[in-house]
Amino acid sequence: MSLTSLTLLARLDSVPRGLAWVVECATAAGFLPHRVMEIELAVEEALANICLYAYPHSSGEVEVRCTQDETRYFVIEFIDSGIPFDMLARPAPDFTVDAAQRPIGGLGIPLIRALMENATYHREGARNILRLTALLPL
Amino acid sequence: MELQTQDIANVRLIHVEGRVDLTTAQSFQDLLLPKLTDCTGETKKVLLDLSGVHYMSSAGFRVLVLAARQCKQQQGEIVLAALQPYLQEVFRIVHFDVLFKMFATVYAALEYLSPTAASAYRGTE
Repeated sequence: MSLTSLTLLARLDSVPRGLAWVVECATAAGFLPHRVMEIELAVEEALANICLYAYPHSSGEVEVRCTQDETRYFVIEFIDSGIPFDMLARPAPDFTVDAAQRPIGGLGIPLIRALMENATYHREGARNILRLTALLPL
Repeated sequence: MELQTQDIANVRLIHVEGRVDLTTAQSFQDLLLPKLTDCTGETKKVLLDLSGVHYMSSAGFRVLVLAARQCKQQQGEIVLAALQPYLQEVFRIVHFDVLFKMFATVYAALEYLSPTAASAYRGTE
């Protein structure tokens, strides 16, 4: 099993660095470019949400961990010490309405759910742990 | 990221080039929305050529929803063309087919929007 991690300030201007790092890890894990881009998109949505909402009244950090093990799964974990925040619990926007009624945000979570094999959240002590899982290529 | 604009008969063809993510979405919005203000009714329809966009996240989708909303408020029409396979997939996930007509090529979109513009475009190819 290999585990690498990167710790960033939970600010939107940290997101590009986090993305570039996960892209490196996913590429090294053997994902094809198309799949790397899907993982990158899911990670951008997750990181952006954490940077926007985890620390409403203070600054803080987010740790990103990439793990690859013999179970053929590539796991990306986001760990922060912000307020309890389960982005996955947000209801999906109503996709059936036209442009006039459609909310302009809220598309990130459906993307995470659709692009990753699994997405889970749990609170562990004072930490939020969001875990995204992608099946490694054969 | 950048936009290249070309008016062909009653169609405004806007070619979007580059990556639209959290860091570039505001530029995309600032460049795109002002180009839509005179696109009303039959006088000027909008065609976004997305062939040059290889990555777009929800920050970019937000701008497209704003563009669709603005066009609808003006009784204008906006369609999308030439999406990369990656964008086709993510647009399907967020049900953008409810908001936009999408075409495989710029020419196919022009044929739908305006036969006059399609003829003029074929002459320039």
